[in-house]
Amino acid sequence: MKTKESSYFRNWQEKTERQLEKRPERKETFHTSSRIPVERVYVPDHSDDQYKEQLGLPGEYPYTRGIRNTMYRGRHWTMRQYAGFGSAKETNRRFRYLLEQGQTGLSVAFDLPTQIGYDSDDAMSLGEVGKVGVAIDSLEDMEQLFEGISLERVSTSMTINAPASILLAMYMVVAEKQGVPVEKIQGTIQNDILKEYIARGTYIYPPAPSMRLITDIFSYCTENAPKFNTISISGYHIREAGANAVQELAFTLANAKAYVDAALAAGLDIDDFAPRLAFFFNGHNHFFEEVAKFRAARRMWAKIMKEEYGAKDPKSWQLRFHTQVAGSTLTAQQPDNNIVRVALQAMAAVLGGTQSLHTNAKDEALALPTEDSARIALRTQQIIANETGVADTVDPLGGSYYVESLTDEMEEEAAKYMKEIENRGGAVAAVDQQYMKQEIQRAAYDTQKRIENEDEVVVGVNRYQLDEEPEPELLEVDDTFVEDQLTAIKRLRSERDSDEVEKALAELKYHAEGSANLMPYIKEAVRAYATVGEISGVLRDVFGEYQG
Amino acid sequence: MHRKIRVLIAKPGLDGHDRGALVIAQGLRDAGMEVIYTGLRQTPKQIVRAALQEDVDAVGLSCLSGAHNVLFPEVLRLLREEKAEDIIVFGGGVIPGPDAVSLEEKGIRKIFTPGTPVKTVAAFVEQAVLESRGETEENALEPPQGVDHIGIAVRSIDEAMTFYADHLQLKAEAAVEVPEQGVKVAFIPLGNTKIELLEPLGEDSPVAKFIEKRGEGLHHVAFSTGGLEARLAQLKREGVTLLNESPVTGAGGYPIAFLHPKAANGTLVELCDPSAKGEGVKS
Repeated sequence: MKTKESSYFRNWQEKTERQLEKRPERKETFHTSSRIPVERVYVPDHSDDQYKEQLGLPGEYPYTRGIRNTMYRGRHWTMRQYAGFGSAKETNRRFRYLLEQGQTGLSVAFDLPTQIGYDSDDAMSLGEVGKVGVAIDSLEDMEQLFEGISLERVSTSMTINAPASILLAMYMVVAEKQGVPVEKIQGTIQNDILKEYIARGTYIYPPAPSMRLITDIFSYCTENAPKFNTISISGYHIREAGANAVQELAFTLANAKAYVDAALAAGLDIDDFAPRLAFFFNGHNHFFEEVAKFRAARRMWAKIMKEEYGAKDPKSWQLRFHTQVAGSTLTAQQPDNNIVRVALQAMAAVLGGTQSLHTNAKDEALALPTEDSARIALRTQQIIANETGVADTVDPLGGSYYVESLTDEMEEEAAKYMKEIENRGGAVAAVDQQYMKQEIQRAAYDTQKRIENEDEVVVGVNRYQLDEEPEPELLEVDDTFVEDQLTAIKRLRSERDSDEVEKALAELKYHAEGSANLMPYIKEAVRAYATVGEISGVLRDVFGEYQG
Repeated sequence: MHRKIRVLIAKPGLDGHDRGALVIAQGLRDAGMEVIYTGLRQTPKQIVRAALQEDVDAVGLSCLSGAHNVLFPEVLRLLREEKAEDIIVFGGGVIPGPDAVSLEEKGIRKIFTPGTPVKTVAAFVEQAVLESRGETEENALEPPQGVDHIGIAVRSIDEAMTFYADHLQLKAEAAVEVPEQGVKVAFIPLGNTKIELLEPLGEDSPVAKFIEKRGEGLHHVAFSTGGLEARLAQLKREGVTLLNESPVTGAGGYPIAFLHPKAANGTLVELCDPSAKGEGVKS
């Protein structure tokens, strides 16, 4: 008999209820951020034969407890701080600084014009050049970005979506020029367009041609760059836009299925591309719910891949993920408090078994991080890894009555959302119907109202405020580089072999109108120093633009 | 009834973070305004065109990408060019303090940073628009003009008068009973203000309870103000706890309302409108 059904447990509950009259609890009911009720106490629920099926040992299907047998006893997660601003030269300096400080992987932030396929001198780029990331117009900028950094040794994550093929092609050409064979490059491109329509907003083309560009990359990398993660299917931004944990989990896995379907429809074999699919989740406030979310994600994906898609390679079943802690929980008020928030969120990601981690800097609700605040963010991870001992056993919260129960519930609730999306014709159709977007907006507004009614406490914002906030020291990005960027692109256009550029772009256009894999043609255009704006422009002409 | 306030919420530049913009749009709608949202990636020119076409009273700009210093002033410039500088422009996003100051100097009416309650934004927009329309609410929101009276809780008016009459030679007006509030009051005129002596009528009277808990002494301060109803509505919007949500008739025969003492560091504050004497209280 399960403990919950025993008279021992029932008596305890009655006794406790009687005590409530004298000593009521802090709240009538307790909830996770996804409105899952939190019980007073959790008791054993899984029986022994369910253990293998539902949890499994670490490194064993369904990977609830982790995708590796030894996890961080073998090697700590990759500490990967997202960085980039201003010019390629300036960002190159920040990268070298972070590598010197013990960071183990690079993560490139691109500015918005680059992410949306405009050159720095385009009218649409006004005010945005180099703001949220580094400005990349052509291969020349990319060469400067990685100067003195060997692409054989470093693994690089690039937050790039609609123009992912272009930036990946640039990365490959830089490697080649360094004398590094392309099959050796390691890293990840985000390349997740569906969540751009849902939550992040840096789309260019409509869904159908966007999905084609993605499957072209899958196919090209399987043959040419087998160590490169071809996509990072992202719940991060869905959560930042206001979704709760269950929605983050469900929408991400639904999007993942859409990519698998598209690749299968393009004729790829599942075990060829699935091992290179990576995920990207948010590390949010509700500590145990977050741990449960990561564990549920692994179990759900393993089952989807094995049972629904019939993948045979265990690598196809394993959900590998990067975590960034939640930017939207950072407060502009009393920014030092954010260091504590980040540490706790990062701890949840580690206890959830993340493969890599970005910890936010305390001042990011106000501006880009200063060198000091960026260092504290990295140190936070290093303290968790080296001082707390949490990395010394695999899945330390496994078997916690509460965490196991919550893991089951996350799975159940997320499955309901995925069913709804299936009924709507899958993630691409649901995006078209704005279904996820509306769900997220509703959740975001509910959260805001709960904060304003003080149903949710945000320390320093709606409680424990200071009368006067000291003025924090913020990073000032020197705007003068924009002039240099504009001069450089002008010079590039006059110096490069324009016949070669035009030939490469015409070739690309021809094949974009057909059905060939576009990667080789994009790579040739990049090699001829065609710009991000020019290449995207050709594809805009052929594919059209998505209207949000 | 005034024309509903119309607001355009706009996302200038290439930034795709629209959580804040959408929450503000919904919050302003819930506050009774008509809100149009532009969607992402709008140039300043498109935003100004939409503002004119939609005939809005205010434009809210949201930008989290750092492009605010270029894009926000450009919207102001184009509005001036169109002779539409009466449209109120406010903004929000990831905007460092010094930038907020310089944008407000350039004519952005207010920059709201992360953590601002939606109702604060709604209250700001409403007040700014009504002021710019020159509608009557503007007068209502003049600050209080003076201390109408100071209330002192006493066990017996007659006994209390020995101090005021015998020692200070002040004269009280005739005492009046206000059974609804369980008190008998006597006003003592004093320059341009008054002392109000409050004597409990029966044990259940709030004044009796006050005396029981804190002893006789200073009970409340009353500020005189015009447009009491509009003032109460504004306080409520801004989250000040009211003891009277709408005005009641006070001992002086004009509308009054009490605020919760926690609003003013433990002091019970009364707002009253002596100019509305005899008009009674609208129910």
